[in-house]
Amino acid sequence: MGRRRTRAIVANSLVALLTAVTLVPLVWMVTVSFMPRGASSQFPPPFWPERWSWENYYELLVRREIDGAWFDYRVLPALGNSLLIAVLATVLGLLLTIPAGYAFAKLRFTGRERLLKLLIAGLVVPGQVAMLPLFLLFKELGLVNSYAGVILPGLAGIFSVLFVRQAALAIPDEMLDAARLDGASEARIFRSIVLPLLAPITVTLALFLFLGSWNDFLWPLIVLTDQHKYTLPVAVAAIVREHAQDGELMMAASVVTTLPVLLIFLPLQRYYISGLLGGSIKG
Amino acid sequence: MSSQERTAWLFTAPVLAIIVAVLVLPVTLALALSLTDYSIYALADWDNVRFVGLGNFQELLRTALFWRALANTALFAVLGVPMAIGASLGAALLLHDTTVRWKALWRVALFAPYVTSVVATAVVWRFLLNTRFGLINYALSWLGLPPVDWLGDPHASIPAILLFVTWKIFGYNMIVFTAALSAVPQDLMEAARLDGASRWGRFRHVTLPAIGPTLLLASVMSVAGFLQIFAEPYVMTLGGPAQSTVTVLYFMFDEGFKWWNLGQASAVALILFVLILTITFVETRIGKRNQWL
Amino acid sequence: MLMGDKGCRRADRVTRRSVLAGAAALAATSCGPRSASPPLRFWATSYEGDYAPHLMTAFTAATGIEVDVQSIPSTAAHEKMLTAFAGDALPDVFALPSGWIGEFQMIGALAPVPSPDYVADVLPPALALAQVKGRNFAVPWSAAPQVQFYRRDLLRDAGYETPPDTWEAWREMGRTIKRRRPDEFVFLTLLNWPDTLFSMLYQTGMTMLRDQDTRGNFRSPEAESAFAFYLSLFTENLAPRALSTEVQDAFAAFAQGRYAVWPSWPSLLLDLHRRRAEIPRERWGVARLAGPKGPGPTAMIASNVVVSARTAQPQAAWALVRHLTSTATELRFQQLIGNLPARASAWASPQLQMPVLRPFAEQMRQPAMAPKIVEWERIQIEVQLVAERVVRGLLTIPHALAAIDGRVDQILAKRRALVEAGRIA
Repeated sequence: MGRRRTRAIVANSLVALLTAVTLVPLVWMVTVSFMPRGASSQFPPPFWPERWSWENYYELLVRREIDGAWFDYRVLPALGNSLLIAVLATVLGLLLTIPAGYAFAKLRFTGRERLLKLLIAGLVVPGQVAMLPLFLLFKELGLVNSYAGVILPGLAGIFSVLFVRQAALAIPDEMLDAARLDGASEARIFRSIVLPLLAPITVTLALFLFLGSWNDFLWPLIVLTDQHKYTLPVAVAAIVREHAQDGELMMAASVVTTLPVLLIFLPLQRYYISGLLGGSIKG
Repeated sequence: MSSQERTAWLFTAPVLAIIVAVLVLPVTLALALSLTDYSIYALADWDNVRFVGLGNFQELLRTALFWRALANTALFAVLGVPMAIGASLGAALLLHDTTVRWKALWRVALFAPYVTSVVATAVVWRFLLNTRFGLINYALSWLGLPPVDWLGDPHASIPAILLFVTWKIFGYNMIVFTAALSAVPQDLMEAARLDGASRWGRFRHVTLPAIGPTLLLASVMSVAGFLQIFAEPYVMTLGGPAQSTVTVLYFMFDEGFKWWNLGQASAVALILFVLILTITFVETRIGKRNQWL
Repeated sequence: MLMGDKGCRRADRVTRRSVLAGAAALAATSCGPRSASPPLRFWATSYEGDYAPHLMTAFTAATGIEVDVQSIPSTAAHEKMLTAFAGDALPDVFALPSGWIGEFQMIGALAPVPSPDYVADVLPPALALAQVKGRNFAVPWSAAPQVQFYRRDLLRDAGYETPPDTWEAWREMGRTIKRRRPDEFVFLTLLNWPDTLFSMLYQTGMTMLRDQDTRGNFRSPEAESAFAFYLSLFTENLAPRALSTEVQDAFAAFAQGRYAVWPSWPSLLLDLHRRRAEIPRERWGVARLAGPKGPGPTAMIASNVVVSARTAQPQAAWALVRHLTSTATELRFQQLIGNLPARASAWASPQLQMPVLRPFAEQMRQPAMAPKIVEWERIQIEVQLVAERVVRGLLTIPHALAAIDGRVDQILAKRRALVEAGRIA
């Protein structure tokens, strides 16, 4: 019993230590963001603000004139853009991939298996290969510097389709056939039988899509040229390049970028993690 | 056409059309583009574009920075995959221990960095890694170690970025491994214990074979991920010092969107594609030989 | 309302060709309610972008035209502007460094300056930098020659009133300061800032490209001497082996006395003013950079205002250019951020007679003329990358110069082909 007890203490404190180390950067990000300008550039580095100050957030979000200079970081509009783009990408992504995933799992149609193989093969194509020509295509279509231009490439959700298919495979065929015998249309079957059954993974997929879109960086960086349309990561990267010496301000920008996703993730983490497990074991 | 068939096409056609439009078509065009000398001069006048065959690829092989980018990317993968997978596995084993309590809580906390934005946390890590005022060098000083010029020394820059990347992503595979660990057959484990196998022996002969496939899959995906590193050097080092953090993708971005050599950049993209494909293929072959997949 | 708008646009198109657009002319052609037209978009980098909104208030008050200013990071400006052009999203008016004018003109991004009187009063060196084959596509806004800022107190402690003006003596001063303060550096020139090295190259009087600017010409004794001098600053520990991403706050480092000499630009005047609490006025001075045998031409960045070839409001756009490059506005900008006016008449103002500006004025008469080719920006960066490798001991100077020529030839391959085909001059 004594050995087991020691082991419990060691294991638990190791986990606690690991968690503490993992969370330090995030906590430090928050505490530094509340320090007055320049206060973090000291040795030893302070972990806790001597004086809590909102000035960084104020400057980032509200204040526009400093020492005669106009600083418009456009963080609030970027927050709005990020939200709009992530919500649109999520909703459209769900609309496109849930029916498709179900069709690949449960509806019989010619070419299904071949298409499925192609989709799986398509998973290994890195999106970056498509980026350069995609930019030229979007240039011709007038989609550069538009929200549609940001969202569209993300809608080619091969992963999502396969993910939904995996979940839909678990729906018993008898249930669907019974409904068909009762004369229900395919659309009706989808709406009243399939969708409710897929509801949990819909939440999971929505989380995946939302976070993926929110954190996406390279493509928005390329395709958005007007600051009014920047998403948060692009805006933050631009501020870093110009105002890197203002550490506390940068931390505030990071908090603004990170906080919304953590707020969404934490209450829904159960779905996220279970989805991740489902996908990876069978995938 | 049966009603099922009609519905199926109705359900799949939109997403398939988008996949063709934003993936299949552009990838085909990338192939075509990589055979031309599309450059900024072509932006001025399409007549300035010529077909150059494999010229871009030959040119790349003569470009020192491209080789450096390849070497850097390889280094990211070679160091990063064991680092990240090791961290994930270590954390998963720790969490798997029967004596650990509040597992769900730890799991969420350890996973949290994964869902944050790379750009935002890269900013944070840039400060953590600061030579004079960074927490990491402060921690080193506690251990009596001299400060490291993390982002300034060409030999330390890749490990520094990898520290950040590992911190950011290890939670993902940790979750995956926890699930695989809970699927390790308990009777086998018990039998090994009764045979007097050591902890390491049990790990080596029972746990490892059982989680082998998961481990392999995770490392295949990690390699692909590490080959696509971009945002980290873009935010933390701008590719420096001494171009030690220029990755293939960073090179492609600069070549393509900074200097507008789309022909050359497409060639880079295709080489990256082939690399990823080859590595994935080789790894799955190894997995098949060992009957992991 | 709709009709009025259409008529207005047509009027715009006619006047674009014929009328010299100006604030006055614009005020005469009143086009419906002002608020109906979208605001003009204006981009500039760094301080110019941060402070430009102050210049717009007067413009908006006089013309009723709103201006939306965006400040874009200088390290990402080139790709932002190119992708914006490719995506048809360039702003109506933007600030462009002189080195990029040829490139943006070639791709057709710039509208020609409608009348010579826009540049009538511009200082000849600034105009020379801005012109493309003798034609005007940009109106010079400010000129920034590289000079050195030095710490009077640190120099005086080492026995110097001002920095010597030859390389040898300048470096000797560095050694003296270093001996007194072995833990600090002397010269603040970072490994990803190409301008100090390029100033040294220009000062040797070398020609960096040959054969109609289609090949590198770096394997020369002049380049070798400049590289050797540059390298010696690092090997003797007078300058740090560091990048700008590492020196989080270069100004603070200068103010804390960790460097005694900072080769920099007029924009530093603004920092020195804004952060005067960190370093009092009497502790710093300005001088021309030392040259091999005395001061010579140094790198010069001239900022210009240009109008997008695809602007929907050319008249208003040119009115804004007129406003921004007026003597009064340039003087105001000088006051705000230290930018040195490109307009000759501005230099007659008492505001520019301050002793601190004299080195700038002298240096401006001797600007270095960078080759006006599309690839120059990239060549500078690549030369600096090679130089960084030399400083880090990864390459010897002869190898480095050969590597530069090889790389430059590679970068210029496309240009060479086009020149040989007679498609470009």
